[in-house]
Amino acid sequence: MAETLRRVRLPRPLPGRLGVTTATAVLASAVLACLLAPVLWPLDQSAVDLARIRLAPSWAHPAGTDDLGRDVAHRTLYGLRVSLLVGAVAALVATMIGGIVGGIAGTLGGPVDRILMRIVDTVAALPHLLLGIFIVAMLRPGLGAVILSVGLTHWLSTARIVRSELLSLCTRPFIDAAISGGAGRLRVLTRHLLPHVLPKLALATTLMVPHAVWHETALSFLGLGLPPHLASLGNMINDGQGSLLTGAWWASLMPGLVIVIVTLALAAIVARWRDRLDPRVRAELQL
Amino acid sequence: MSRRASVRRRVLAGAGPVIRRRLLVAVPVLIATSIGMFLLGAASPIDPAKQYAGAAAFTATEENLDQIRANWGVDDPLPVQYARWVGNLLRGDLGWSTSRHEPVTAVLGARAGWTLLLVSTALVVVLLSSLVLGTLAAYRRGGLLDRGLRAAAYAVEAMPVFWLGLAGIALFALTLGWLPAGGLTEVTATTTSAADVAWHLILPVGVLAISQAPWFLLFVRDSVAESLRDDHVLAARARGLPGGTVLFGHALRTALLPFLTLIGTHLPELVGGAVLVETVFSLPGLGAVTVQAALGTDFPLLAAITLVTTAVVLSANLLTDLAYTAADPRVRLDG
Amino acid sequence: MTTTVRTSALLGISDLTVRFELPDATVDAVTGVSLAVAPGELLAVVGESGCGKSVLAHALLGLLPANATVTGRAVLHGGEAPVDLLGAGEKILARTVRGRRIGLVPQSPATALTPVRTGRHLLAETLRVHGRARGDAEAVAADAGLAPADLDLYPHELSGGMAQRLATALALAPDPPLLLADEPTSGLDRLLVDATLDLLRQRCDNGATVILITHDLAAAQRVADTVAVMYASRIVEHRPAAGFFAGPRHPYAHALLEALPDRAFAPIPGHPPMLTELPAGCAFAPRCPRAADECGSRPGLAPDGPGRVACHRPIGSHP
Repeated sequence: MAETLRRVRLPRPLPGRLGVTTATAVLASAVLACLLAPVLWPLDQSAVDLARIRLAPSWAHPAGTDDLGRDVAHRTLYGLRVSLLVGAVAALVATMIGGIVGGIAGTLGGPVDRILMRIVDTVAALPHLLLGIFIVAMLRPGLGAVILSVGLTHWLSTARIVRSELLSLCTRPFIDAAISGGAGRLRVLTRHLLPHVLPKLALATTLMVPHAVWHETALSFLGLGLPPHLASLGNMINDGQGSLLTGAWWASLMPGLVIVIVTLALAAIVARWRDRLDPRVRAELQL
Repeated sequence: MSRRASVRRRVLAGAGPVIRRRLLVAVPVLIATSIGMFLLGAASPIDPAKQYAGAAAFTATEENLDQIRANWGVDDPLPVQYARWVGNLLRGDLGWSTSRHEPVTAVLGARAGWTLLLVSTALVVVLLSSLVLGTLAAYRRGGLLDRGLRAAAYAVEAMPVFWLGLAGIALFALTLGWLPAGGLTEVTATTTSAADVAWHLILPVGVLAISQAPWFLLFVRDSVAESLRDDHVLAARARGLPGGTVLFGHALRTALLPFLTLIGTHLPELVGGAVLVETVFSLPGLGAVTVQAALGTDFPLLAAITLVTTAVVLSANLLTDLAYTAADPRVRLDG
Repeated sequence: MTTTVRTSALLGISDLTVRFELPDATVDAVTGVSLAVAPGELLAVVGESGCGKSVLAHALLGLLPANATVTGRAVLHGGEAPVDLLGAGEKILARTVRGRRIGLVPQSPATALTPVRTGRHLLAETLRVHGRARGDAEAVAADAGLAPADLDLYPHELSGGMAQRLATALALAPDPPLLLADEPTSGLDRLLVDATLDLLRQRCDNGATVILITHDLAAAQRVADTVAVMYASRIVEHRPAAGFFAGPRHPYAHALLEALPDRAFAPIPGHPPMLTELPAGCAFAPRCPRAADECGSRPGLAPDGPGRVACHRPIGSHP
């Protein structure tokens, strides 16, 4: 019955060609801006300018300044830089944990598979944010804790993908052929299975980046993420919360908008990519 | 035997195995979670004695700190510590909160109710609105409502709930002045009145509901739209049944069965959203103490909150499974 | 009777065409179908799966998905006011036509029955909607060969034959003058096939009209009055059953008959064309042993004795 009960289809957007092009352009320019930021617009993370606190958006400060007189647009760029970097590394950690667990479960099968999948179900039943908070608290808030917190809470989908991919590959004739051809387990794994699983892993990592960014942002917003003086999107929204009540709504507007735009762009690209991998989307007409 | 009686018989026959299977999962999950948390706590580089002593740790003598450690048994072997901790938990002693300086049970007792109220109200709002709007969108697929709702859903899905909360405060509390910006009661209020609380909960509940709605809404919409092309729905239409009967009696019943499961799998996310929303709106629920406990490395409180929440999520899963068994006569067979 | 009414058609279909728009292709599911079915007639529409037969049935009931474009006319006569099935809106079809004037015995009854409802619920609901007493449920079920106890079972608990009988009972319950049977015999064993066919035949003998959509020529031979053969979305031959089974004129019809186990049991070489890329000429030409140069242009469906055939070089004609 478990299968019947877990038959949950996820809703997903199907962006048009124009949407994907726009999304790619937005994302590419965001990444480029992040890469070039230290060269073109260096930022002193600890600088404050108390003469210019809570200035409304203007030409000099397109997104205004915060309650320490720091330029919001400038810091948002660095916040995105930090968040994307942390998100990407954390997504990679999550994918590695998931890939290892799913790989072991999928190739060994039997009781090992059952136990590992039971663990996957266990972690899936836990509230992720609470678990993430717990992990960060026990490790002391900081960069490493945030990355581990994401990694330890976000590996489940990758583990499931890799496992089911391996299980379905193992029923395919070319694997049988390789094994009966005398190939060892390791050789089958590296030469025949890995090339098929790697694209899925890459997809899983990409899919994970926005989730990782979100998790980091949420932790930072709660004051449990990156060090408070560091410009990160979550920290900035958290800082902006105080300014908001004094009427300076712009302090947390731009970092939030950036999260929304980057998430949408990533989602659009990933959705199209997923459809390319999966040709079953073709219309199923019963003629 | 009447139809009703036979249905009841089926439900009862299905409930036993479902409960057994869920418990078979729930108990190991709770044990595994508690061990995992305990190990993380033990691996923590933070010295609980120094933590407890706070600023006094710098002046306290090493003997004093050792005395605290001995009192707490932190130098015992890990299995002994774990057994003592679980034993206490099972006896209802959840420990002493080092960040709030009161028993964990007192913290939970004072605050869990508010979180539960927030989460359950938001859940009801989400379910009702996504069912109605999702079905309407599916029924007029490709129409204005459908396209508008889907665009809105994708946009909201990309917005962090705490940012949405701040936007809500900026718009409805600060700019329009319609709703209070935070808290549970008026600052001047001396007693807690239901009307006051409800008034203060509109914005937090709305924000939490809106942030969670896209998943449910898109799911209902896709699921109903797909089921409107199902063989049995076409057959019902071919029999000349009125639109309403086809929709409610044939399409929705089967389309929404997986929806029950979605509620269960989505609860953890709802809880996480509640923590953030409580922080944004300074509500006296578990969210704020969770953050406080995390900053103070308050293991007993954090562990209790995580375990209790997990237990609540697991029981909710059991409930949705039971509902599924009651609603789908097929489940009994493939069990 | 004081006047002799000329036997007019119960259903007159003219130039019915159905297209499906897919993101990257157009499916020509039904093209230029014209048919007249007389009261009391049992018309068998035969053809390989995927030739557009089921789409025809769904088009007549207005049950096609939103990406379908339907053109042509299909006028339903009978006791009540004539109605153009293709032009009438959803409301008219739902309130006055479906179930009441046209019943559908669906393909694969197992999936056509709502899984969370018992047979009794489904039957009572249909009876109530059509103004009959719920209590008739058991009588209607008995007509279709179902015991009262079977009605308390859920669809997944029914055998294939029982599900078929329930689906048939649901279609017959409002007593419609026209019955569309869409592959009602697929997946059934021979005994059940024959019982289902005999039930349909009996309906016709009592004055109702039946359109039997099937890929099973043996079934058509058993009960049909007239046969229409569909190939690649078009009707290629249409004539009275006796003449058809004695000597079909279209090479495709001939090949279909020769593929029957009690005849030559010879499969037709090749595959039917994709409905997304139909050839300009005769669609059967690539598989046809009689094909010649002229088959590069498409033959029209022309009168041919008591029937019609769409072929440049029909069987039995001199080359």
